[in-house]
Amino acid sequence: MILMRLSLLLSLALLASCGQRQPEDGKTEITLMRFFGSCEAKFGQINKAADGVGECGIVTTLVNEFNASNTDGIVVRTQIGEWGPYYDQLTARLVAKDIPTVAVMHESALGDYVRRKLVLPLDADFARVGIDVRDFTEHAQRGTTFEGARYALPFDTWAWLWHINTTLMKKAGLLGADGQPILPRSPEELVAQARQFRARTGKPMFAWAVANETAANNRTFLTLVAQQNAQLFAPNGKTIDMQQPAVTKALTLMQQLYAEGHVKPNLDYAAANQSFLNGEAGVVVVGTWTIDQFLRESQKPESALNGGYAVLPFPQLFERKAVFADGYAWALFKGGAATEKQHEASLKFLKFIWDHTAEWSRTGHLPVSRKVAESEAFRALPLRAGLAEITATGTGMPGNVPTQRAIELLIGEDVANLMISAKPVTEVQASVEKRVNTALQKARR
Amino acid sequence: MNPLLRRGWFDKLLMVGLCLLALAWMGPLLWVLALSFKPNEFLLTRTDVFLAPPYTLANYLDILQTSSVFRWLGNSALVALMQTAGVLVLSSLAGYGFARCEFPGRKFLFAVVMFGLAVPAQSTFIPLHHLFSDWNLQNTFAGLILPGLAAPFGVYLMTQYFKAIPIDLEEAAMLDNASRLKTFLLVILPLSLPAQATLGIFTFLGCWNDYLWPLVIATKPEMYTLTRGLASTQTNFAQSEGLGFLMAQAVFAGMPVLMLYLFFQKHLITAVAGTGR
Repeated sequence: MILMRLSLLLSLALLASCGQRQPEDGKTEITLMRFFGSCEAKFGQINKAADGVGECGIVTTLVNEFNASNTDGIVVRTQIGEWGPYYDQLTARLVAKDIPTVAVMHESALGDYVRRKLVLPLDADFARVGIDVRDFTEHAQRGTTFEGARYALPFDTWAWLWHINTTLMKKAGLLGADGQPILPRSPEELVAQARQFRARTGKPMFAWAVANETAANNRTFLTLVAQQNAQLFAPNGKTIDMQQPAVTKALTLMQQLYAEGHVKPNLDYAAANQSFLNGEAGVVVVGTWTIDQFLRESQKPESALNGGYAVLPFPQLFERKAVFADGYAWALFKGGAATEKQHEASLKFLKFIWDHTAEWSRTGHLPVSRKVAESEAFRALPLRAGLAEITATGTGMPGNVPTQRAIELLIGEDVANLMISAKPVTEVQASVEKRVNTALQKARR
Repeated sequence: MNPLLRRGWFDKLLMVGLCLLALAWMGPLLWVLALSFKPNEFLLTRTDVFLAPPYTLANYLDILQTSSVFRWLGNSALVALMQTAGVLVLSSLAGYGFARCEFPGRKFLFAVVMFGLAVPAQSTFIPLHHLFSDWNLQNTFAGLILPGLAAPFGVYLMTQYFKAIPIDLEEAAMLDNASRLKTFLLVILPLSLPAQATLGIFTFLGCWNDYLWPLVIATKPEMYTLTRGLASTQTNFAQSEGLGFLMAQAVFAGMPVLMLYLFFQKHLITAVAGTGR
């Protein structure tokens, strides 16, 4: 009986595994590896990018529109990778020679692939298909250019922002007559504002993800260091210097904010956003990608954000206007196109993405085209006008620093220790320096 | 009178303790189930709800409307069943060899197999991937199944089990002119069914839940297993903006195993309890 049941299950499984999809005759098929998830149920049948909503919806409909509208018989097959282990999977594919034709990448990760000569330089191809690289924004130029050559088509710039509950800010006396939040201009002002906020509202001023993830801590730290014009990494990108006053100031400020109770304690990413949406903190420090979602929430009558949501770049607390930024970009891999026809098809697809780059800005991410950033259409999007400056002021790690994502993790871990378990600033400086330099040395071998 | 009431106070106390522990263990699972029926937008602001409205089936419909989901389910079933069958065959044969056959280097070879128990799977990951890539087994069922067939625990378990079976039974069969193979197949193997069932359950569950190996060896959507496929559909910030969908995925992935349990409940309990047939 057991054997019969097992046989039945096996037969069903075999049946289910039949019917692999084959490329259609006369079509040129290219593969597209990306994250952003799958939303086939909602957007799988929509062939108009303008009708897409959210990251997944817009990228899905962009590909659908290209597949439906191109007259060259090009079919883009999407292969979705998970957000967390995306680069492990991409690397595994490159090793196995199962190379995607086009793949989305973080600009901070692109450098490692450029140095290993795995991605194709694209200047000549861009010129040929009509992608004007002079139209790339400053941040997009920095993110995709290595030693003078461009290795990817920028898709967006995303950055570190203050999402603000203006109702609570008003209650705290931190809203100007123009209805705009009064932003601090120095660390001292920030601490004073946080104390005032707490005294008048009984709530912490900030919510940001300090637990179970390292990105938020790292990005705030890098923003504060960049605003002091400090160079964290040696010009050759081979070492980090944590023993400088700018680092001490940044870490001391972050520790003070947490120790005095101005950051809601022990929140992870979801809990930080949740507490902001429920009106339990005045500001959530998170990226551009939540704008669309927070905006939708703020339009609900029952929301704590109703009629009181604003978003601005991380305020300038030191001498320089700077904010942590990174971006997504589309890269072509060596060996990803088996034929010249596939290579041409992938370039046509990139051109299509470039021509529709304004659609992606609806997610909350910032445009990579100067024309789009300056356009009325972009500035007319809610809350975007104040963010456009980030396309110039956005800053990340220098491109020659290898394994940036691992380094961000190492920094973020120790900054989390600094805040959650009050690890002394000097110990954090020593620990980050030791661990990051070890990682950089290994990366150079 | 209720048998429970006839028991002593210690037994009753123990029962209450066990029930509380079971509830504590089930709590998170029930919470997952409850959240899977809530709209994602609602869960952006509230996750401390259990039975209170709103309710929705949208998360499950989203899973079912993913065109490849039944294919992934089939892939998982095929891979798990094939791997389980392979492990049972190989471990039984190897275990019998180590337990009953004398051959040069037997102890050394057994020590090598046992060494495999001490090696973390992660440490063999990169060489294994290189090997399977070189053999062009990326995106094939062979690539998904074969690495799991090396099962030192299975060999160890079966060796110990065969050693515990009285040798007289085997000798009696051989006196009746049964060959070594016939003795193994008709006398020893049927006696080892409880151990086979235990090994089969653990192998099946391990393979069904495996995520890491399918992540790197199956890169085409048509070759994804269920865990890999469902994970690929998650948005970048699923824990925040797609929590209901995430929970529904967890329930959906666990459902086939639960159904398997309901089908084979009696055998599974016997096997895990190790009490024989």
